Amino acid sequence: MTTKSQKLKMALTSTPMILIYVMVIFCVVAAIRQPSFLSPATVVNLARASIFTMCFAICEMVVIISGGIDVSFPAVGCVAMYVPMYLNYNGIGPDNVFFFFGIAMLIGLFFGVINGILVSCLKLPPLIATLATSSIASGGLIMLLGTREFTSLPDSLEALYATNLLTYTSPDTGFTYPLTILVLVPVLLCVVVAIVMRYTMLGRGLYAIGGDKNAARIAGFNVRLLQFFAYIFCGVVAGATAMIYTTLMHSSTTTALMGEEMIIIAACVVGGCRLTGGHGNVGGTVLGVLLITLVQNNLNMLGIPTCWQTFAVGLILLLGSVLTSVQAKRQARLGKI
Amino acid sequence: MKNSKRIFALGTAALMTATLFAGCGNNGDDNQPPSSGGEGTGTDYKIAVVPKMTNIGWFQRMEEGVKAYNAENGTNYLYGGSTEGADQASYVEGLLADEWDAICVVPFDSNSLAPILEKAKDKGILVITHEAASMDPKYFDYDLEAFSNADYGINFAKQLVDLTGGEGTYIQFVGDLNSVSHNEWCDAADKYFAENSKMVKLDRYETGDQTTASYNKTKELLQAHPEITAIQGSASTDVAGAAQAVAEMGLAGKVAIVGTSMASICGDYIKDGTVASFSVWDPAEAGKAMIELAIAVLNAEGGVLDVASTSLKATGYETLTVNEDAPTVLYGDARVDVTSVNMADYNF
Repeated sequence: MTTKSQKLKMALTSTPMILIYVMVIFCVVAAIRQPSFLSPATVVNLARASIFTMCFAICEMVVIISGGIDVSFPAVGCVAMYVPMYLNYNGIGPDNVFFFFGIAMLIGLFFGVINGILVSCLKLPPLIATLATSSIASGGLIMLLGTREFTSLPDSLEALYATNLLTYTSPDTGFTYPLTILVLVPVLLCVVVAIVMRYTMLGRGLYAIGGDKNAARIAGFNVRLLQFFAYIFCGVVAGATAMIYTTLMHSSTTTALMGEEMIIIAACVVGGCRLTGGHGNVGGTVLGVLLITLVQNNLNMLGIPTCWQTFAVGLILLLGSVLTSVQAKRQARLGKI
Repeated sequence: MKNSKRIFALGTAALMTATLFAGCGNNGDDNQPPSSGGEGTGTDYKIAVVPKMTNIGWFQRMEEGVKAYNAENGTNYLYGGSTEGADQASYVEGLLADEWDAICVVPFDSNSLAPILEKAKDKGILVITHEAASMDPKYFDYDLEAFSNADYGINFAKQLVDLTGGEGTYIQFVGDLNSVSHNEWCDAADKYFAENSKMVKLDRYETGDQTTASYNKTKELLQAHPEITAIQGSASTDVAGAAQAVAEMGLAGKVAIVGTSMASICGDYIKDGTVASFSVWDPAEAGKAMIELAIAVLNAEGGVLDVASTSLKATGYETLTVNEDAPTVLYGDARVDVTSVNMADYNF
C-alpha cells in the first residue's frame, strides 16, 4: 500500500518531472547569463528547431515501444525528399503539395513494408535489418538518381513555406521570428499517437509485444501485424517529415538527414523509452526532444565555447540515460511494472 | 518447422547479400577504365584526369572542362573515375595496367590512395594532384591548388569590411573545427579584420556541413547579439542556412553574408541579394590546369619545372606561386567571386 505522500514523492521524482527541472534550471542559467534569452523569440525558435526531431522521435518511439529499433529513417527520409524534387526538376508530375507529400509518404511506406517483412516475417534482428534497409535506400538512390542539390522549391512548396502561424517581432531589435504553420504537424502527431498508445487496442498491443512477445501472443495479440504496423508507421511519418524538412530548409539532398538516428534514439531514451521495449510514452519523448533541442540550440546563449558544446550535449545525454535506468531500477524495487 | 524458417531466413539473407554484391560488381564494371582508351591523338602524351567522384555536379563541371580542352587542342585525354569516390584507389590502380605519361588526380581518401600513387611514381608516371595540399609531398610530383588559403580568407574579410563599413561584430562558420582549410581561411580573415577594421569577432562556430545547423545557430546568435553585422561561411551550406535565417528575421541587406558556396546551393539568395557574393573556384579550369601542368612538367628538362616562367592556359592559373614550405605545392589565383552579375557563368 502506498500512502498519499509516497505517491506525491513518486510523481515529483518521475522522469518527466526531472526533465522539467533540468530544463527550468537550464533556462534560469541561460536567462541570467544572457537576458535576451527571456523572450518569446526563444519559444518560437525552439518550436521551429524541434519540428524534425519531434516527428522522427515520435515514430522511433513507437518502434522502440514495440520492442524494435529503426535506424533506417534518415536514409528513407532522404529518398523520400529527393525523389519528389527529382521528379519535379525533370518536369514529371503536378506542382502540388499533396503530390509531393504523397510520393514522400509512399516511399516511406515502401521501406516500412520492407523493414516489416525483414523483422516480423524473417525475424532478423531489427538493428541489422534496418541498417541493411538504410544502406540499400541510400546506395540505391545514388546509384539510380545520382547526387544533386535541390535548393529551389516548386511554387506550391514555396507557398507552404511562406505560410506562418504567427510572427513575433522583437520590440527591442525589430527582428522578426516567424513560426511556420508546419509546426502543427508534430503537435497533431503527438496528440494522435498519445491517444492511440494509451486508449486503443493497437497502442496497448504495441506495449504488450514490446514487453513480452510470447505473453502478448498468448493474450491474443497479432504480434506480426503489430510489428508491421510499427515499421510502416515509422516509414510513412519519416517520409512526410523529410518533405517538411525540404520545405522548411529549401534543401533536398541525398545525405541531408544522414547521421540523425543516434540523436533521435537518444531523445527517446532520455524521455524514458527503454531500448528493451515496452516502456515509454509521448509525454516523456516530447520532453526528451525539447531538452535536447533546447541544449543544442542555446549553448551559445549560455556562452559555452564552441569546442565544449559537443561535450556538453554528451553530458546531458549521459545524465538522461542514467536517469532512465535509475528510474527503472526504482520501479522494479517498488514492484510496479 | 522452426528449422525450415531459419533456412528460409538464411537463404533470403544470402540472396540479399548476393544482390548487394552484384550491385557493386556492376558498378565496378562500369567504372573499369577502358583498356585502350585515352590514346593521345593530337599529342605524344597519354594523360588521365581522375576526379574524387563522378556523380556530383562539381566534378561533372570538371569533366566539361577536360572535354572542352580536348576539343580545343585536338587531344584525347581520359577523364574518368569512381562513381561515388569510395573505390577511387582501385580505379587508379586499374589505370596502372596501362602505360601513362601522367595521372592527374583529386584524392578522395588520401590514405587509401597514397600507396597507389607511390606505385604510379615508381612506374615513372608523373603524378599531379589537386586539393591535396595536406598530403605528404612524397606521394605527388606536383600539387596544384586553386589559391592559397590565406589569400582566399583575406578576400572574405575585405568584402565584409566593405559591406559593413568596418563596423560591428562578425561571426564565422566552419564545417568542422578540425577542418584545416576552413580554419586557415578564417584565421587569415581574422588577421585582416584586426588590422583593417574596428570589427570585433564573437566566435567561430561549427556547422557540421549542415544547413540546419548554420540556420539555427544564426537565429540563436542574432537573438543574443543583435550587434552582429557580418557572417563568414566556410562549408558550402553555411551561407545558405545563414541567409535563410537572416531573410526570415527581416535582416536581409542589414547583415552581410559572404563565404564559399555554389550557385546550385545558394543561387536563390544571390538573386534576392541576401548573400552579397560567394566565392568558389571553377573545377572546369582546375581540370584544364592539371593537364597543362602535366604537359609543362613532361616537357621540362629533367622533370623539374621552372615555376616562375610557367604559364598555364587555364583561367586563374596563368601565374603560379610556390608554397614556401613545400616546393612542389603550387598555387594559382583562381578564386571567383560570384555575384548576381556573373552567376550564369558559374552555374554548377
